[in-house]
Amino acid sequence: MRAIRCCELDMAALPLQENAALLDTQASEAAKLFNERKYAEAEALVQKLLDVMPNQRNALRVLFEIRKAQNKHEAAAALGRRLAALPGAANVRAQANTQYAQYLVAQGRHEEALPIAAAALKAMPKDATVQHLMGVVLTETGAVPEGEVHYRKALKLLPAEDGLVLANLAWNLKLQGRLDEAAELYEKALTLRPENRRGVGGKAQVEFGRGRQAAAVAVLDEALGKWGDDRTLRLLRAMADLAMRQPAAVLERLGATDGLMGPEILVRAQAFDQLGQLPEAANAWANARRMQRERSGLVYRPEALQARAAAYKAYFTADRVQVLPRARPGAFTPVFLLGFPRAGTGLLEQLLAQLPGFAGADEFAPLSDLAGQIARLTGGGGYPEALDELLLGGNLDLPERLRAQYEERRARQGLARPGVNFITDRGALNFWHIGLFKLLYPEAPVIHVLRHPYDLMLSNVMQDRKLEGNAQAGMLALAHYYALHADMVRHLRGQLTLRYMPVRYEDLVTDPELVLREVLGFIGGAGAVPQGIGANSGQVPHPLPAHFALRGPVRAAGAFRHRAYLAAMPHLFDEVRDTLAPWIEELGYMEEAAR
Amino acid sequence: MSDAQQANAAPPGKQVVPLSEALEKLSRLEQENKLAEADDLAKRMLAAMPEHPHILHLSGIVSYRNGRVEEAIERMEKAQALSPDAPLYPRNMCEIYRGAGRLDDAVRAGYRAVELAPNDARAHFNLALILYERLELDEAVRVAEKAIELDPEYPEAHFEKAEALLLAGRMKEGWESYEWRFKLKQAEGMLPKTDKPQWDGQPLPPGRLLIIGDQGFGDCIQFGRLIPWAALLCPQPVVACSAELMPLLRQIPGVGKFVSRWEDTGEYDAYIPLSGLPRLAGIGTDNVPPAGYLAPPDALVKEWAAKLDLLCPKGKKRIALVWAGRPTHKNDKKRTLQLKQFAPLFAREDICIVTVQKGDPIAQTGSYYGRAPLVNLGPEISDFIDTMAVLRNVHRLVTIDTSVAHVAGAMGAPASLVLPKAPDWRWLLGREDTPWYPSIKLYRQEQAYDWSGVIERVVAELQEAQSGAYPGMEA
Repeated sequence: MRAIRCCELDMAALPLQENAALLDTQASEAAKLFNERKYAEAEALVQKLLDVMPNQRNALRVLFEIRKAQNKHEAAAALGRRLAALPGAANVRAQANTQYAQYLVAQGRHEEALPIAAAALKAMPKDATVQHLMGVVLTETGAVPEGEVHYRKALKLLPAEDGLVLANLAWNLKLQGRLDEAAELYEKALTLRPENRRGVGGKAQVEFGRGRQAAAVAVLDEALGKWGDDRTLRLLRAMADLAMRQPAAVLERLGATDGLMGPEILVRAQAFDQLGQLPEAANAWANARRMQRERSGLVYRPEALQARAAAYKAYFTADRVQVLPRARPGAFTPVFLLGFPRAGTGLLEQLLAQLPGFAGADEFAPLSDLAGQIARLTGGGGYPEALDELLLGGNLDLPERLRAQYEERRARQGLARPGVNFITDRGALNFWHIGLFKLLYPEAPVIHVLRHPYDLMLSNVMQDRKLEGNAQAGMLALAHYYALHADMVRHLRGQLTLRYMPVRYEDLVTDPELVLREVLGFIGGAGAVPQGIGANSGQVPHPLPAHFALRGPVRAAGAFRHRAYLAAMPHLFDEVRDTLAPWIEELGYMEEAAR
Repeated sequence: MSDAQQANAAPPGKQVVPLSEALEKLSRLEQENKLAEADDLAKRMLAAMPEHPHILHLSGIVSYRNGRVEEAIERMEKAQALSPDAPLYPRNMCEIYRGAGRLDDAVRAGYRAVELAPNDARAHFNLALILYERLELDEAVRVAEKAIELDPEYPEAHFEKAEALLLAGRMKEGWESYEWRFKLKQAEGMLPKTDKPQWDGQPLPPGRLLIIGDQGFGDCIQFGRLIPWAALLCPQPVVACSAELMPLLRQIPGVGKFVSRWEDTGEYDAYIPLSGLPRLAGIGTDNVPPAGYLAPPDALVKEWAAKLDLLCPKGKKRIALVWAGRPTHKNDKKRTLQLKQFAPLFAREDICIVTVQKGDPIAQTGSYYGRAPLVNLGPEISDFIDTMAVLRNVHRLVTIDTSVAHVAGAMGAPASLVLPKAPDWRWLLGREDTPWYPSIKLYRQEQAYDWSGVIERVVAELQEAQSGAYPGMEA
């Protein structure tokens, strides 16, 4: 298409939208050609139509579908955006929004899909498809309890029960730790729609989480018997092998690297790691990350994170925060767990959850959402500057109101209940929200789980887990993200009075009982730490945080893993050494090395 | 090389500036604190004329101002070697060596400077500063007097003499020279513009004496104890002080009213700075009025007790800590430490550190990962009254020579005060106690600018040192 009809389109010079119908017949012809898979002819026709009228909705729609079929993602997204922005009747626009949002969801771009899906939902609140879409988008963006609401609305609107929606709701409940309910729903969903492979995978994961490893493996093995070529199911089966510490089985199941995708190769890397074949592990993760960079364009994007860090550092200073109002103590004490991904906050939560009076909230951290609300509630511009509005009379009680919302979320999760005095909060983004936490819970404990930065690099680079700014893209990206994370925590600790306690992962895995006693003493919790406590030795709590599914015995071997890697590959950390050296020194790990 | 020669030597199209102008510009940039520009010009001038002594000397000063002390010394030593009889060079080097903590070199340069320029008062003053640092106090007084002889209206030299006399315990003589402090450049605006006389210690009618909280917070707290003495002679004096000090000084009896602006003082017959009261009252080392004249309100002590009970783990001794002073203080470099230099304290698992530090240095707590828990309390402390209430809830304060030490001393809170080898005059010499504050124990550097061993001694004596009793404390 000519630039003047595409990226250089003059929106003010477009033909009137009501005249677009004049070309509908030709557009229908193009759609017919597309449906007959005559893509070249269909594209030639829509190009002509769009040259005459760049805002011809039906022609744009055909081109959108062609680009999707061609896997030209950026072009398809641009067309989806244009379709969604065209004027027209509310229902037509809502459909365009829905299609665009569905496309983004299929691409895994859930954050981008959120406002589009929300616009569609507002226009068509009685449409089950849109409610279902909203459920997917919310669940995948971390607003899991909110996602549940929309799945349930979709189910009510549907004339009959739908296996796909039920399975998605089951997955949502699994994420909330409501495993028994999830298992029940999966039964129903898979009866209605037994061919739903993703549903089968979800069911296996739920069974694994319920401690029914044999059942989970049976589900996966049966599914693989039916769909032997399903790589997602095979990957899940390999991950089950890993969790059961059967690395040789992983390698056998996945085969050689040729033809494998990034996530599969990363699982192989972990298998090599378990086997102690460290150069092979390093080779595998390097391959996987290279493949992700080259094929999916996976690259660390720190710009937005750096801008956010600069804004937070400028705002959260001692003098500025001191004058802001604070909330009074609430119904329970949240225990804020800080730590870089894979530092061990999950392990600490698992251990604490075994003590009387404690509940684990996993990564459902309401603070990100509450921070977003502050700007809206105060009308005071963006966060964190909007916190200045708390100084005005009408907003003085806002910390109290936000704390009440925090508590309400915990109650909805089934965590705030009689007998629970402490609820751990281990949101991955908690490090951004220490300032807000201070206003809502001024004297609540903040436990910072530290781990040797090289070990964190190793643990993260082998995991197929998305991090902010795509920091998982490689070891150097991880190191830069680590520095940003650590610098943010350092700044906030230096400017705020916190009830702060650092805990070292290395101590936690070496002597969990001692560390837990210290943590308990610091928090002021009642009761004693059971002798011989380990991550998998206690009662399974309810609701069950997702990471409990993979809990194993506390393993002292997890401490200082990088030493073995360095012994085998002295240059492994060369590219991150300069970035991490100041932090290694600051955390006191140099002294450890000296010993 | 003459200017004309330079012009001839310049390649075509290059602009040539006469050397004298370039030197003048370099000097001006340094004095105007345009240090990056000065650095750039110095580099270019050195590249053109690497052996020119004055370029080397000025470039050395620019390096020093940019924090590159070694480079500064190297350049300036080279300048001096090239031009050994230029009196300016050793005079300035004396200060640079002092800044680098090289007192032997500094004193050598100082003597060389006065030898080359026996009539230069500034050279004598610089030498007196070094002699004070070396605790050669009689010699410091003699050299300062020489500077005064050459320039009788040289306030800095008078003040240096005062400090050396007071530190040596020669209080009466010291107070007289101490009066020159208001002629120092940094004292501008400390006193009201008035034609009224300075108070001479004679009785005045009620409300007719204006007492001025001059100098730093610490001085005002220290000398505030003499307000009741002044009020005996001049009842209900008016006290002018900063808003931060007012809540503290209000606790001292006898004052008529407090003001924080000159226009609110009302009519008065005479004025006296707080720091002028010891001279009038004839204070020596043996007749200091007792401490204990400040105290936090009970309700506030309880409020902080509750807060600290939450913030500090139970069963640990709470040690309050201040490690840095106001950076604009003339001796801050000498007295201020980095938080990490208190490492021996951090290794103690039986204590909880409660930092009552304020200002930019609080950021250092973000890097703390010691064994002892640390509560960065500064951000929650609003004023000195808060500080006092916190100090009532800790075992002991460990501090550098800053206002919080005076607060602790004035309220009788136990404190360990770490001091440089050549301390401020008020801490005197050769003693572990101070007549001003019986609850403070002094820990002095053994070597100038070297804190090693000092913090270790503080920590070793924490166990046996006098301590405060507070509600959250466990035996």
